[in-house]
Amino acid sequence: MTENVSTAGAVKAPSAPAKAGKGATVGIVVSAIVAAIGIALWMVQLSGGMVQTAMRNLDSWGLYITMFMFFVGLSAGGLIISSVPKAFGIKGFGGISKVAVMTSIAATVAAIGFVVVDLGQPLRVWELFAYSNLGSPLMWDIIVLMVYLILSCVYLWAQVGNEKGKVTHAALRVISVVALVCAVLVHSVTAWIFGLQQSHEMWHTALLAPWFVSSALVCGTGLVMCAAVALRAAGYLKWDQSDLVKLAKLLAVFLLVDLYFFGCDLLTEGFPAASGMAVVDMLVSGPLAPFFWGEIILSAVAVVLCVVPQLRTTPLMVVAGICAIAAIFCKRAQLLVGGFQIPNVDLPAVMTPFTVTNWEGNMAQAYAGMVYWPTPLELGIALGVVGLAFLVFFLGLKLLPLKPAEQE
Amino acid sequence: MTHYGMAIDMQRCVGCNACTIACKSTNNVPEGVFWTRVHTDGGDVPDVPRETAGGLYMNYITIGCQHCENPACVKVCPVGATYRDEATGIVRQDYDKCIGCRMCMAACPYTGVRSFNWEEPKYAMDFATGDIDVPKHEKHVVEKCTFCYQRIAKGEVPACMELCPARARHWGDLDDPESDVSKALAGREYAQLLPEMGTKPSVYYLV
Repeated sequence: MTENVSTAGAVKAPSAPAKAGKGATVGIVVSAIVAAIGIALWMVQLSGGMVQTAMRNLDSWGLYITMFMFFVGLSAGGLIISSVPKAFGIKGFGGISKVAVMTSIAATVAAIGFVVVDLGQPLRVWELFAYSNLGSPLMWDIIVLMVYLILSCVYLWAQVGNEKGKVTHAALRVISVVALVCAVLVHSVTAWIFGLQQSHEMWHTALLAPWFVSSALVCGTGLVMCAAVALRAAGYLKWDQSDLVKLAKLLAVFLLVDLYFFGCDLLTEGFPAASGMAVVDMLVSGPLAPFFWGEIILSAVAVVLCVVPQLRTTPLMVVAGICAIAAIFCKRAQLLVGGFQIPNVDLPAVMTPFTVTNWEGNMAQAYAGMVYWPTPLELGIALGVVGLAFLVFFLGLKLLPLKPAEQE
Repeated sequence: MTHYGMAIDMQRCVGCNACTIACKSTNNVPEGVFWTRVHTDGGDVPDVPRETAGGLYMNYITIGCQHCENPACVKVCPVGATYRDEATGIVRQDYDKCIGCRMCMAACPYTGVRSFNWEEPKYAMDFATGDIDVPKHEKHVVEKCTFCYQRIAKGEVPACMELCPARARHWGDLDDPESDVSKALAGREYAQLLPEMGTKPSVYYLV
């Protein structure tokens, strides 16, 4: 065995109390306060107008949709890590199955929250169900996200029921297969919101859907690793070090697949040395270079930490998890801003405060740096939605029986 | 079936922005919003030429909603707030229905023809200008050129047509070979904006 399991003994010791202790309560209070501040700021945005954000006509989506993509991705890992072993009847990753699904539920709530705060007319959200245009990828995503959230809850409930003997193994296995299919679908559909648009060369690629799935697996696995280590350190659950190592190896594979997709995409864009070259230039040496190289370097660091046996210590595995999550955030940011960074019509015309974020100069100046950068209000609201996700997670820890059952 | 369209003569357009202003006042378009804009094909700033081997070069191209036959925006709107009116071929926008998700703005290949009211609409004057039957502008919804739907309904032509000093615009039913626009297209070489996007615009540029 090459796995570094030396630290396992040290953290196995404390037996978890019956309920999550003070930590969860403090977490609930803090995240509720952050979420409440976020809601207050959202009211400011709605009453004073979205002119207070940095989004404008030529860069009409921003941090909220970036975070939406990011959180849809984060929600993947939990559900997939939990359902794959059950669906295929193979050995799992220890007793983290239910906690992993809880991270999925929290991340899905945040993803839905980010869509809502991005809407100009959130009170009209009922129209999505009354006047659904079933041809719109955004509509597909709304439907799949709802199903995904409900299914995650059902899946969690089924796991708890299974432990109590109320839900049969066969039933749990069926639910886990359905959940797995839905998880793959939710990432594909989120990719299609962007990938089916012929108007943005950077987005318009068939690779986008599988690539979103691989990115989701990267950051989702990273999140589960970090969450499980934190809960183990807090004495909430016992978790074998070999299971962490298994997850780390899996993370390395996911990262390499994601980088492979990135390489395929860059080559396809750049090779004809035609219009796609603008996308490659923008990423490699243009305004989005910090996010591009950030993603590459963070991914490489995470891969190295995960594949070198001597480096597989608990703290370094947490670092690898955080690097993986940060790398995928860089990817989301470059994809969203990059789509708007190359306009189809870039001839100079009259510019107003509503045309583009940096409207005071000419078009060339507006696109010289990143075409979009969020305002403090957007950052505050985004933080609030993240707070909401943490609130859901901590409430789950406190109120639901997420600890591994004795037999596991 | 009527299919309204427009042909803009790039040989005649002088970039005077009369159409921009006619559009703005007729439709009471809020401050900072333009449904049609004159773009300069020249240097880095409007109304400035660029140097070429053959001397200085500058031309103008006015761009508004292209009222596509295969509109990217209509496909992606989750609630059908933007739709193609089959009776006229005009791509319309229902302000009361729009949820402000801005999916249409991301999907439209013609950068900047759709605009979002990022705040409560403000106006240069404290009274509304233009046609009385123009739909009221709303905060946090997307709007764009309507081909002056309210005027067409009364048998009139879009406002940008009327005040063009260079008579660079031609309007009418593209399905009627006797219409002004069809005749203009018949005798001239023309182009469409970004034809590779496959959106089939109803606005043509005579080159």
